[in-house]
Amino acid sequence: MVTPRKLRSGVSLSAVLSAARHGTASCSLDGARQRGVALLVAAALTCVGGAAARAADDPASTQVAQASDQQQLLDRLKQMEQRIRTLEQEQRQQQVAPAPAPSPGVLPAQPTVQAVPLPGAPPAAGNKDLFGLYPSPIEGLKFGAYGEFKFGSQQNPDANGHWENGFDAARLVLLPSYAITDSIIFNAEIEFEHGGTAFDNDDKLHGTAEVEQAFIDFKVRDYLNFHSPGVDLVPIGYTNQIHEPTTFYSVNRPELANGLIPTTLDVPSWGTVYGKVTPNIGYEFQISSSLEDFGDSFDSRTAANSAPAGAYAPGVDGRNALGFSKPPVGDFSQLNNDLAYALKISYTPPFVPGLAGSTSVYFSPNIEPRGAHSDLGTPLGKSSLTLVDSELRYRLPRTGFEFRGEYVQAFFGNTANLRANNDSDPTNNVGSTMWGASAEVAYHFPLGRALGGDWEAVPFYRYTYEDLQTGGFHGTDDNGSIGAGRLQFHTVGVAVFPTPKLVLKMNYQHVESHQSGGAKADALLGGVGFFF
Amino acid sequence: MTEWLRWTAPPAIVLSLASPVYAVQYLTVAQAQKVAFPSATQFVWAPVVYRPDQVAAIEKRSGEKVMSRGEQVWKAQKGNQFLGFFLVDYVIGKHLVIDYAVALTPEGSVKQVEILEYRESYGGDVANPDWLAQFNGKTSRDPLEMDRDIRNISGATLSSRHVTEGIKRILAIYDVCLK
Repeated sequence: MVTPRKLRSGVSLSAVLSAARHGTASCSLDGARQRGVALLVAAALTCVGGAAARAADDPASTQVAQASDQQQLLDRLKQMEQRIRTLEQEQRQQQVAPAPAPSPGVLPAQPTVQAVPLPGAPPAAGNKDLFGLYPSPIEGLKFGAYGEFKFGSQQNPDANGHWENGFDAARLVLLPSYAITDSIIFNAEIEFEHGGTAFDNDDKLHGTAEVEQAFIDFKVRDYLNFHSPGVDLVPIGYTNQIHEPTTFYSVNRPELANGLIPTTLDVPSWGTVYGKVTPNIGYEFQISSSLEDFGDSFDSRTAANSAPAGAYAPGVDGRNALGFSKPPVGDFSQLNNDLAYALKISYTPPFVPGLAGSTSVYFSPNIEPRGAHSDLGTPLGKSSLTLVDSELRYRLPRTGFEFRGEYVQAFFGNTANLRANNDSDPTNNVGSTMWGASAEVAYHFPLGRALGGDWEAVPFYRYTYEDLQTGGFHGTDDNGSIGAGRLQFHTVGVAVFPTPKLVLKMNYQHVESHQSGGAKADALLGGVGFFF
Repeated sequence: MTEWLRWTAPPAIVLSLASPVYAVQYLTVAQAQKVAFPSATQFVWAPVVYRPDQVAAIEKRSGEKVMSRGEQVWKAQKGNQFLGFFLVDYVIGKHLVIDYAVALTPEGSVKQVEILEYRESYGGDVANPDWLAQFNGKTSRDPLEMDRDIRNISGATLSSRHVTEGIKRILAIYDVCLK
């Protein structure tokens, strides 16, 4: 390197090197980049200085050659100057840049700070879209999940009440959601029940893989929103819409949600309108394909979408209530043209802090399928169904006390036309109405912190009464219930929450019925439930 | 819109398919600022970018993880009078983001909490003013625990819990970064 000297431009090389080492006010490059730039500049200036020195020492060099050399050096300097600008711009883009302060009086319409995870920190909360753990590969696409496993010992009524040990991978449900826009959101539930389904005998699978929900949510106003047509939950009661295992304390879902309301009652929905008319009163109104009084296998439906000739199982009966009456959601295979209407009003009265409840009604003008008939071959006419539900949930503020209560009743327009009253089976007859009621008390005890979670134990007791075979039987069957449809359930147990997203349950349930010999359906069960 | 429309709009929209649709949130940031500080004449943008020691301090005080590099903060001013802080944050509800805002007094107590946007199909009870009013007056010295000093909401359990945890973190941010 030549001895530093003042160049023709008046800039000394040492000044350039010093400025590059310490950084200038206008350049915020990091140390490595600064050193690289400094070397580039130093080399360039050295070349310029060298050319000038040669010219001074060799007056015999042609003016044209000197001018050409200097022009080339100037061009190279310009290129290096451009490169420095590019590096500066890249450096700025890599820094976190909060939104510029708005002009006085001008307020930003949307917050614009970008959340960037700290080094070594878990991904940002807004980016833990895959099960709350990892960033989603597609912006706006989120996956959640819930599931439950059950195990224990229970009496089998079909084995004269013999106690049998068992296990059930009850359900694993994936919850994909995708914000198409901030106000148009896709929601779905994909469910695998009882371990799923398979064809081969060695797989030992006889469960379900189904779409339990799939609709587009249009968020318009707080008092007016829409669910698009799709597979949707009937807005009836509480458990049918909120049924993740962390939301109830027993291993099995509450009894009223197992037959009177055949949870999960998902239907072909033609659309739902919902919102809040006041901050404390909400509504949901849904139109859907009607429930069906047809509980037989799917294959027995005819190509004409009607009940088959000969015997077929009812969808409504005095043992299972409405448990087999869900309409199919696929393939245009619904068995009647009738649409059902459901309206739910939810309330959280401000004068009773901690109280929430709802009252809902479901009405179908007809649940009988095309071609409905008795075992004697006589055609069955129509029968309407009206289902009403009222429930409440109360948390006494600043205590662990919790109370839940529910009442459900179904009314049938014409019991003479119900299949269960015309199927030659006198033990499953249905009266003009069926109903049930339950009351549950629980207490939340904090257990302290362990394994990163705040543990909580919730002992509970629930009493449920159901009468699925009230009087007023009609139809071709012999009349008179045998009491199997009058049931009392006593369920006592404890649910332990290591976090609100995980629950470990155990309960004992005693079942009484009016049938001879009793219900023989007691159970001692454990369960694991999760929701994230 | 007048109140009567809340009762007639649902049946009207069922009968008519021609109504225009406006996609809106509960409140924009600007609207929430005005609601929280109605006498303010300006909101000065004053974001916080955490230092590592601040992150550790916030997490220790609140018991909640800090998941972003900073916080969106505005200072509400009426002329030269400082009225308080306005912070915008977000949490995950059931599995979608809830945008919310917290207004703090200059002394660091909660003045008001507003839900800006709730995207879930169920559980919008966290936007209930009665539920949100529980946080008014809370400071970092309060436990802010569900079922202890904050009432739970049936049907919105995860949302209400996460919003409570978010506000707890906001109060810790005040102690560490804004005091």
